[in-house]
Amino acid sequence: MKKFLLFLVKGCALLLVTLVLLDVLYTAVYLQSDSRSKIDYLYNSKDKNYDVVFLGSSRVNNHFVPEIFNKAGYKTFNFGITRSRLDESALMLQMMVERNYKIKHLILQVDLNINTNDHSEAIRSLFMPYLQTSKTIREYYSDLPEYNQLLYIPFYRYMHYDARIGFREMYYSAIHKKTNVLENDGFHPLLNGPDKLVPADLSKYYPKRNKGYETIKAICKKNNIHLIALTTPMCMETINRDYFNHIQKVYPEILRFENAVSDDKYFSTCGHLNKDGAIEYTKVVFNALFKPKK
Amino acid sequence: MFFNSLHFAIFLPIVFILYWFVGGKSKINQNYILILASYYFYSCWDWRFLFLLVFSTLLDYVSAMKIEKSETTSQRKMWLWVCVTINLGFLGVFKYYNFFASSFAELVHSFGFTASPILLKLILPVGISFYTFHGLSYIIDIYYNRIKAEKNFVDYSLFVSYFPLLVAGPIERATHLLPQLKVNRKFEFQKAKEGIYQIVWGLVKKVVIADSCAIYANDIFNHYNSMNSWSLILGAVYFAFQIYGDFSGYSDIALGTSKLFGIDLLRNFNYPYFSRDIAEFWRKWHISLSSWFRDYLYIPLGGSKGNKLFQVRNTFIIFLVSGFWHGANFTYVAWGLINALYFLPLLLLNQNRKNVDDFTLGFNFDSVRTLFSILTTFSLTCIAWIFFRSKTITDAILYIKRMFENHKFNSEYFRIERYSNELLALVLVFVIIEWNNRHKLEPISGKWSWVKLSLCLAAIAALGVFSDYKEFIYFQF
Repeated sequence: MKKFLLFLVKGCALLLVTLVLLDVLYTAVYLQSDSRSKIDYLYNSKDKNYDVVFLGSSRVNNHFVPEIFNKAGYKTFNFGITRSRLDESALMLQMMVERNYKIKHLILQVDLNINTNDHSEAIRSLFMPYLQTSKTIREYYSDLPEYNQLLYIPFYRYMHYDARIGFREMYYSAIHKKTNVLENDGFHPLLNGPDKLVPADLSKYYPKRNKGYETIKAICKKNNIHLIALTTPMCMETINRDYFNHIQKVYPEILRFENAVSDDKYFSTCGHLNKDGAIEYTKVVFNALFKPKK
Repeated sequence: MFFNSLHFAIFLPIVFILYWFVGGKSKINQNYILILASYYFYSCWDWRFLFLLVFSTLLDYVSAMKIEKSETTSQRKMWLWVCVTINLGFLGVFKYYNFFASSFAELVHSFGFTASPILLKLILPVGISFYTFHGLSYIIDIYYNRIKAEKNFVDYSLFVSYFPLLVAGPIERATHLLPQLKVNRKFEFQKAKEGIYQIVWGLVKKVVIADSCAIYANDIFNHYNSMNSWSLILGAVYFAFQIYGDFSGYSDIALGTSKLFGIDLLRNFNYPYFSRDIAEFWRKWHISLSSWFRDYLYIPLGGSKGNKLFQVRNTFIIFLVSGFWHGANFTYVAWGLINALYFLPLLLLNQNRKNVDDFTLGFNFDSVRTLFSILTTFSLTCIAWIFFRSKTITDAILYIKRMFENHKFNSEYFRIERYSNELLALVLVFVIIEWNNRHKLEPISGKWSWVKLSLCLAAIAALGVFSDYKEFIYFQF
């Protein structure tokens, strides 16, 4: 039995060493990766100056064309991430502040995402490689139930979020396989949709006060960033468009742009514009809120 | 409580310590500790079904005594049938009642009548198919005077409810397990070490191979009508490795866990995908169930005695029952039927025991032929798995039709944001490891065992699927 217990102790030590080595390897790979996602790009950049930054979900990622702003003399980047919620947008803004970004205007999509105070597990996982190296991320997630395991058990975070930051993603990062997320200054255009759009149903959506949005407002106020919170287009077939009226009851400062583009030819799906729609919409927003510098 | 859960990782060391350090000196204490641990293990799913397990145990125990004490054959037969009927009755109600009721209603409907069957809202008690068969084998062995009835209720209860095999087998025989429970177990370092290696390898099969394959196979089977031929072929292959990794991984963990308590369980898998024909496959796949059906159904039916027609009938009965044992769905029956059809030519040509010897591969024509036989058998098995995995028989037929008719073989990008062939390299590495170690229980033992162990641990941590947790497939049976 003594021999077996010694065998088990050795086995546990081996497991610990294996986990530590894997953790070191994965973290080292992610720390040098800056072209796989907007989050690794953000983590590995510093001292950037932007006139305009966009934050939000796919309804930002696919809707705002930075080129239009850039041509008008505004240095702009689209940091919208598909599936991101306001919880992740708030952390991204905090990271921008931590990385010493200078931002004049922040355009934030606030529409369907204030239906919930929940987070996106898929996007949260992309922050996890930097949990030990970024004080901002550590503090932001300090109230997670599994925070101690994520921080102190070697390799736990990579196992817990294996679908997004597991071996597959680590391997692609190690060989510097690029994605297209950083092309077009962060804008990802969608293709044309079907002739007849499938209506989005917002009948179960209720706008609520949102913790992420409140955090973003506070960060902007503290760092002198001009916050522009706005809604983005939904197709006319959408069920319960009254939802947008309710948004303004909860947050009156939110600007209404959900009708800025309405023709079905501009939509890829009911909730997402195609490339032409995105250009039209960006122009409408720009003309309403900005003036060309040059 | 699953074998790949944190709960089990805490439970097992506690039971191990209690077993060897508190109960180690007497067989009675060892058995008490194991039975309490087993009942706790089972109650973690649903404590209410513990009563069913205890009742089934009690029924078999009493019936066995009655059979043994009966003075006339008719009395023996009566007790046998009482026990078999009640056991199968429970299995029938919990597992098959709704299926038969709704199938009957559909049949009546097809004749233009209407029937509204009363469907029961029942949860299938986990492991019921396994412990029912456990008990039945014991009773039948008593009836045929192969063994003596067990007098000690605790020992018998442990035989039925021993936690490593309780929920998904292997289906043990009283002749094999009960004698081990009748003696005080002495700790053996070598056996315990083998157990750990088997547990680790079982986890590799489950969380690395089965669960990774499941992600792809699920996406392909759920959207088969929009997939091309290549993806559909991969879907069948991935499911073949999913179910193999899942079930044989479970069996490895069960056997390894049992070895920690000094108890050997029956081997359930013997590298079935390296079989040269379907008969060999069935001698190597889910061995404890195949041999159960052979001993308690096929042989009593007459087995391979009598004329060919008689043998064919028996073979079809075995495969259909085996398919139906897996679940109340016509897809399982079709799966059984297809395997019977695969078996038929071998039976008619007296070739069903042709490939019982060991073999090696070299650079010669025989090896090419062997390799071709292995690939053919695997392909046939994959086609049969399509029926096993599909929701309906129609889905399975459409899947196969599309696989052969689409004629597009480019790698597709799936909804799960992965390419269809991304997993192939991992599956290939797994096959090579299994091939090189096919004469052993697991590949870790032997030379460089510490290096191999650390590689397995690294594979579990780095390649395992943890965020998309999947239960063991055979728990539902």
